[in-house]
Amino acid sequence: MAAVSDFVTIVGARNTITEGSELHTYESDGLPGFRVRPAVVVLPETTEQVAACIRLARELGMPIVPRGAGTGLSGGALPVEGCVIVGLSRMKKILDVDLANRRMRVQPGVINLDISRHLAAAGYYYAPDPSSQSVCSIGGNVAENSGGAHCLKYGFTVNHAVGATIVTAEGEVVHIGTYGGEPDALGYDLMGVFVGSEGLLGIVTEVVIKILRDPQATRTIFATFPTTDEAGAAVSAIISAGIVPAAIEMMDKLAIEAIVLATHVDWPLDVGAALLMDVDGVVAEVEHTAEAAMAALRDAGALEIRSPRDEREGDLMWKGRKAAFAAMGRISPNYYVQDGVIPRKEIVPVLRDIARLAAEAGLRVANVFHAGDGNLHPLVLYDGRIPGDEAKAEHVGGEILKICIKYGGSITGEHGVGFDKAAYMGDLFSEDDLATMNLVRCAFDCDGILNPNKVFPTPRLCGDRPGVYHAHAAEVAGTAGRG
Amino acid sequence: MTIAGVEPRAVVTPRDQAELGAVVRELFAAGKSFAFVGGGTELELGNVPTSLDTVVNTSGCNRIIDYAPEDQTITVEAGMTVAAVSEILAAHDQFIAIDAPDAQRSTIGGAIATNAYGRRRLRFGSIKDNIVGIGIVRGDGIAARGGGKVVKNVAGFDIPKLMVGALGSLGAIASATFRVHPIDKRSRAVAVRHLTVAGVMRVCSEVIGEALVPSSIVAYDNGERYDCVVTFDGFHRGVDEQVRALTAIAQRLRFAADVLSADDLTPLEERERGARCDARWRVRLGAAPTALAEFLSSGEMAGVRRVYYPALGAAFVTGDDLDAATIARWRSALDGGLVVVAAMPPAARGAVETWGTPPPSFPFMRRMKANFDPKNLCNPGRFVGGI
Repeated sequence: MAAVSDFVTIVGARNTITEGSELHTYESDGLPGFRVRPAVVVLPETTEQVAACIRLARELGMPIVPRGAGTGLSGGALPVEGCVIVGLSRMKKILDVDLANRRMRVQPGVINLDISRHLAAAGYYYAPDPSSQSVCSIGGNVAENSGGAHCLKYGFTVNHAVGATIVTAEGEVVHIGTYGGEPDALGYDLMGVFVGSEGLLGIVTEVVIKILRDPQATRTIFATFPTTDEAGAAVSAIISAGIVPAAIEMMDKLAIEAIVLATHVDWPLDVGAALLMDVDGVVAEVEHTAEAAMAALRDAGALEIRSPRDEREGDLMWKGRKAAFAAMGRISPNYYVQDGVIPRKEIVPVLRDIARLAAEAGLRVANVFHAGDGNLHPLVLYDGRIPGDEAKAEHVGGEILKICIKYGGSITGEHGVGFDKAAYMGDLFSEDDLATMNLVRCAFDCDGILNPNKVFPTPRLCGDRPGVYHAHAAEVAGTAGRG
Repeated sequence: MTIAGVEPRAVVTPRDQAELGAVVRELFAAGKSFAFVGGGTELELGNVPTSLDTVVNTSGCNRIIDYAPEDQTITVEAGMTVAAVSEILAAHDQFIAIDAPDAQRSTIGGAIATNAYGRRRLRFGSIKDNIVGIGIVRGDGIAARGGGKVVKNVAGFDIPKLMVGALGSLGAIASATFRVHPIDKRSRAVAVRHLTVAGVMRVCSEVIGEALVPSSIVAYDNGERYDCVVTFDGFHRGVDEQVRALTAIAQRLRFAADVLSADDLTPLEERERGARCDARWRVRLGAAPTALAEFLSSGEMAGVRRVYYPALGAAFVTGDDLDAATIARWRSALDGGLVVVAAMPPAARGAVETWGTPPPSFPFMRRMKANFDPKNLCNPGRFVGGI
């Protein structure tokens, strides 16, 4: 008879956690407010160990929840009752660097920023740069299709992760995608589907990523505006001029205040909004686009436009932006991070709607977001000590998602659906859309043992439709089942 | 019209997306096999279908659904040609980064289904990098959407990517949303002449090493040697600086180089079109750039024409008299890479498989196919591994 203690045989006692405060760490991820105690946490060190753990979990009938660095903000690594957490944090080797083909092979526990650090001396880097890049790991990035500020020009994880070794829900080890990358793998783009599948299709144990040559030059530009209206107009003007900035980020008054308090960047506090942008490329192109962008900022009514005096100051500005979420602690006891997307041209009306919502609820909302691709991060500020405040904040967060949908956007741009937003999937997609996604899931994990209760609104049958039950043809044929 | 040599019993042309859905549902209910056709530029791609009752022509689905120039996104029905979409975008100084075999004929849906790509892939990525949403009709007749209309979106599984390159084997593509790009103000190309494959790779590594940002690098064979054409697009100063930098690189390496005029480019573009549309044997090669370079240097390329994308690790190879033994040899030499026979003479069909050995993940593809097309009616047998 298999038992939970058999995990020790697979990964060793030091890589198995079954009790005590250590287990407490794994009760939640970066999404506060939800905690579930897993039955056991395993921290395998090899692909074979991951596969053996999955086979054992199957035998024991335990649900499996994969976990990277645990920084996810949508509860994608939230345990379910009686589950085994498969944590990839001990698989953190850089396996090889192939500059000639601009590829790198890494284990999933490698920290995002360490990839670029490893490549810095050679003059290369890895483009996707989530704000949590100093702590989040590449395996989690693959699961969530992580973005970041510089994704505007360079794309998301899915555009950079070209192949992977995965362990499936059956405990099989399979290679998907390719190495060469550009000519694509033969057959369906399983890698493209796997990236962003939030741990429902398999556990990644090795990733092949594209690496890029450092640009010749990068110019950072910081500009302030009386209100977010002018800042929004400036973003539109820059894009309309045919300029493709590497990144263009907006912060409103509250966000600026919090960042200044937390990081001591010398940004003015008496402004309504600020933009922080990078343009990069060959030297002459950067000079030209920086001038053109600054002209557009001026025309849009910028109060002040400046470039950092040196690289250090530029880094500081970006550190400030990337620390924005954590900085909220300086101006509010608690905050609720939202992640939604709107068409870029709707920035101004959407920000007004959000401000109205906040006023109605009697809460403050700080806005810091990837303006270039319309990816909002409203931070709903509240005081958890005041009864009912947290519920109000959650309500405002939910209403913000509805605004995003109303304007033709999405409920998540980079944080994932996870546990947090599964309930909103039905507002964005039809039953048939979700059933189609579930067919994809069923091709990998028909029993739904991998990361249950995530992404899909309610557990449902593959291809099941509301109303009177009809068995899906795939189920009749025995290739699909309940999950 | 024939598909991989097979003539269908009937052809239907639905007038809009609703009719497209209705047609597929009827065919599914009646248990009739079907395949989808866009502009018909890739009808030879794929294995011989195991059954083909009806061809569904998507050319009636040819409307713009939504174009938001400020958001740089466009949503169109799948039967629109790439040229028609490009024309609408050009009025707003924008373009769609699809290098279709023949833009006048190739449709958006066909380009997605065949994962069409060309030289601009180097800078703008492939269809997978540019598609953000899709509307499909599954093989079982259910209409569904995936992705959305915004460029950044991680809600739900990536159905758009699943449909790219699936050759209509999971269902029909009814509509799609793409991220589009601003048309660059200036474009100049430099040809570095008379290079060996190693010379071509040297040019590539110097270009990348100096952090130049070309839109494309294409090496056209000139008999045994190659002329390598590097194109730069952007604002004036940046383009001119890069042309100067590449000319200096060529000089340093003692390679002949000259700046091309627009007239010089026309025959080269025609060669690319021909490599993808006209030749009797058309083979697509793909591998890591260094592995492909090694293969192309191996002496296997005598007597075949090559349009080679060295930095991408891809090449379109064409010839009049290839044979099954040659393809088999190439597949064994390019182990781990792709040797896809996109077109071959009818007589060769029995001896040459289009795709090569399916990848290790094939069992998952087979299940995907069964889930989307439970009666196996949707382009049966034509795709990888006979799914």
